[in-house]
Amino acid sequence: MKYLKAVFFSSVVLFAACLPSAPDDVKGGQTITLYGFSILKEALEKDIYPAFAAKWKREHGADVNFVSSFAGSETVTNQILQGAPADMAILSIERDADRLVQGGAASEEWRKLPNGGIVNKTPFVILVRAGNPKGIHDFADLGRPDVKVIHPDPVSSGGAQWSLLSIYGSELMKSAAETGTEDKVRALHTLQSIWKNVISSPGSAREARTQFELGQGDALITYELEGLLMKQANAPIDVVVPKATIFSEHPALMIDRNVKADKRPVVQAFLNYLWTEEAQRAFVKYHFRSVTNESLNTENPKFAKIEQPFTVEKFGGWAKAYPEIIEQVFRDQVQNK
Amino acid sequence: MSANLSGVRHTHGRDIVKPLSVAVLIAVMLPLVLLPLASIFIFGTSTGLASFWKSLTAPEAVFALKLSMVTSFWATGFNVVFGLFAAYVLAKYTFWGRNAVIVLISIPTAIPTAVAGFALLLLWGPYGLLGQYLSEDNQIMFTPYAIILANIFVTFPLAFGVIMPVLETMSRSLEEASATMGATRWQTFWHVTLPSLRGAIVGGALLTFARSVGEFGSTILVSGNLANRTQTAPLYIFAKFNEGQVEAANAIAIVLALFSFAIFSVLFFARDWLETD
Repeated sequence: MKYLKAVFFSSVVLFAACLPSAPDDVKGGQTITLYGFSILKEALEKDIYPAFAAKWKREHGADVNFVSSFAGSETVTNQILQGAPADMAILSIERDADRLVQGGAASEEWRKLPNGGIVNKTPFVILVRAGNPKGIHDFADLGRPDVKVIHPDPVSSGGAQWSLLSIYGSELMKSAAETGTEDKVRALHTLQSIWKNVISSPGSAREARTQFELGQGDALITYELEGLLMKQANAPIDVVVPKATIFSEHPALMIDRNVKADKRPVVQAFLNYLWTEEAQRAFVKYHFRSVTNESLNTENPKFAKIEQPFTVEKFGGWAKAYPEIIEQVFRDQVQNK
Repeated sequence: MSANLSGVRHTHGRDIVKPLSVAVLIAVMLPLVLLPLASIFIFGTSTGLASFWKSLTAPEAVFALKLSMVTSFWATGFNVVFGLFAAYVLAKYTFWGRNAVIVLISIPTAIPTAVAGFALLLLWGPYGLLGQYLSEDNQIMFTPYAIILANIFVTFPLAFGVIMPVLETMSRSLEEASATMGATRWQTFWHVTLPSLRGAIVGGALLTFARSVGEFGSTILVSGNLANRTQTAPLYIFAKFNEGQVEAANAIAIVLALFSFAIFSVLFFARDWLETD
């Protein structure tokens, strides 16, 4: 009996005592660690990582591996600022790239990357249940008392902030088209009535989508590609395209503080690769829209036509949009009311 | 064993209080604990065993489970040794501030685990109070060692809490007998005190281990949550849920549920076996 127990315990100890080694440590070669906002996973892991690794191997004869972590853009940014070992980040909002620069994790140089550091874009749409039972046709309908909305949390999610800008800007544009002046009161009211209907605010756009997929809520405001990915998987939903909506633009940047000199070339090469036609085409395949070549976007027949598109420039860029809309309008007059 | 464990009877003839109270017990547990657990299993098998097995054997999932086991193992090892030491010192000696030490050891019980993670980051993070003095290659946070530290913090009082009461109520006569027979302090501890604590030590260890394996709040802050690197099983579940891969999340949830079931079964049924030679 004593012998049996000794065998039992020592086998437990043997099993448990050694830290597992990561599969890619065995393979050798360099590893790029990427922290990304929540909806990037498919495009990167299924297409862009393997394509770049093959290209790097062809050109340099060396292996390159990727590890990544995906969460809400603000969450990812906070993790990196706290010291998470990211070599590069792809974020939902420019404001987070700026926060990384201010925190000393990255340098201003990121704006000198192709296309001002913006790697892809996508418009914001409304997802509803199949057949659109609540009759939702634009943002204002989400404010009706019988509608339950899932909306990610702007504290942790960049997508949530895009959504707020989208609602607010959309109402401004429509009112301007109807009356000639932008009606800020109307825009605020729409935001307030929608926020009253929010039954859950998950930490990221992808988490919000999971909740919506599990049957919560009547509607979800999110990136167009989320709706298209869900339709592709035959989820019972419809995509409602607002008349006027924002195009979110996503920056990619190196976390200079973490990248040692010997790794810099491969990280820089991967960063630049994101703007090549090959990578942009891969993004389009996963329903992001290309920022370098509009003709690539015609290759995806699923993309919605947006009647009145706008970007964050409408509010004077993120430097103004964040304090003026997210803080002064949303936080002060919608959330804390 | 069958009728009434205390042996006291309040009624003559048929006792309806017994079946009634057992029924109430089950009725309360059903919606609160049993059904939520059952739904994991129902959902897990709804897509077929093949897809369940595939989710379970995905390299990232296997890695996450292994990492959870290993980090919990080391945290348990430390906390059991320390808990035993602390319980021994505190049960044996009275000194000024003794109660304060007991309170200090127990504090992690009431602290939100996210605060534990946050506190560790503020101390050991690359820009933390002490972490800033560590060289770049010796950083602790965002490595598996950070997970061990977080597990140690969160489960700190558990083993101590199980061992201390047993030690306090233990009969002193055996130890005294041992001492009068000329045994050294160490011999008394090794041959008399320790064997009678075996049950408490195993119980404390299993409790600590089970709690460590399930730890989430502090781990997500200190680990970096990288798949195949620093992603433990609970983090894997959360990540997969966030990614919308509910089946993959569920498969690991089933493993953890079975695992805690096994641990508490050992605690309950196999204690005697572990206590005997």
